Amino acid sequence: MKRMYYIFTPGKLKRKENTVFYVPFKNVEPQDDENLQNEVLLSVDSDMAESLPTNKIVLPVQDIDSFYIMTEASFNTKFLDFCSANKIPIHFFNYYGFYSGTYYPKEYLLSGSLLVNQVKHYSSISKRLEIARKFIEGAAFNLSKNLKYYNTRNKDLQAQIDTMEGLAMDIPSATSIEQLMGIEGNIRKVYYTGFEEILGKEFELISRKYNPPSNPLNALISFSNMMVYTTVLSEIYRTQLNPTISFLHEPGDRRFSLALDIAEIFKPLFADRLIFKMINNRQIQTKDFESRLNGYYLKDTARKAFVQEYDEKLKTTIKHRKLQKEISYRRIIRLECYKLIKHLIGDTEYEPFKIWW
Amino acid sequence: MYCILVYDVGEKRVGKMLKHFRQYLNWIQNSVFEGELTKGQFDEMMGVAKKLMKKEEDSIILFSMQSNKYLDKKIYGVDKSGLTSNFI
Repeated sequence: MKRMYYIFTPGKLKRKENTVFYVPFKNVEPQDDENLQNEVLLSVDSDMAESLPTNKIVLPVQDIDSFYIMTEASFNTKFLDFCSANKIPIHFFNYYGFYSGTYYPKEYLLSGSLLVNQVKHYSSISKRLEIARKFIEGAAFNLSKNLKYYNTRNKDLQAQIDTMEGLAMDIPSATSIEQLMGIEGNIRKVYYTGFEEILGKEFELISRKYNPPSNPLNALISFSNMMVYTTVLSEIYRTQLNPTISFLHEPGDRRFSLALDIAEIFKPLFADRLIFKMINNRQIQTKDFESRLNGYYLKDTARKAFVQEYDEKLKTTIKHRKLQKEISYRRIIRLECYKLIKHLIGDTEYEPFKIWW
Repeated sequence: MYCILVYDVGEKRVGKMLKHFRQYLNWIQNSVFEGELTKGQFDEMMGVAKKLMKKEEDSIILFSMQSNKYLDKKIYGVDKSGLTSNFI
């Protein structure tokens, strides 16, 4: 399977010899972007500079699924054009590790009839509710599954599990999207109260806040959610689905809201479990965060460590019950898209992904 | 499948081969490549490679395995590792 490439060291990406070359800034010839180069070199802190690759690296274009640009990088339209030709989306993250956008190449899997069906399912309130309900149902199930796992491991989370399951009972009877979103919000609120029990006092959440994250755990949750969101978006790109027409979230402008919908189901498995694991194994500690501008942000080293674990996680394989074969976690997301397509064209009713192990 | 590809071709064609294989696999040493390929990518890659090579003079050898799980890789001397990583 093609891999995602994560760029953590400042450099230049370019198309050369029909593949992708990565040249760290200190090797870029002076005539290229001279100003940019000096600016960036000044901003690179000393411990990052040591890990800078000294030479150009040639990336096999056929191995690239998508790019994650976590640092300063420069490229030109030729490179973007080349990425489009090879169907490689590029996700950008800003200085604070916030998702800032995606270079979404021209759609290559087009399906007019699916688009029509997608819109139909959006505009009919009953059809839209049906799908939205499924998303919440899956999300709620996976959230409580996470707590159940820790409940069997000397953590007392029974109260939260019971409350969440009580709240989830209302999902089938919800009559509007707002109501569904309300239920989802309440479930999450209860879910987050379980975090302290799992992670201990050092990482206290108090309440979920973003823009900016008010404490280290909030920062970590925000970052991991953005990673899940971008992964889902990359997978949607590989299907005929239109990423802007969503069912649970309101389809807005300038955002791929369908990715938000589907990410809802996968956050508990991909983001939260990784957070629990990394904090409990002390791979991430409070000293890995810095406080700036009233908010907390992950330091570069911790961000890299997290992404590395995240990438490992996506490669983990499990045996799929229905398909009777080994598939990776990342593949599960694609299968979810396919299930949604089947629902939209009236083939098989959509059933959300539920953690079965 | 996971592949290690080595080639020994006439001087004139070395550059061409290098450029070609770089699109599919990670370069690890002169004339040696390593990486993960699907069956389709493999066929595509070898299809072109066969056209580039001179069958009477050149040779390309491919070692492949199901996955790199079973591959024990040790590097002596200059460590160029990181070249095959997707974290840059």
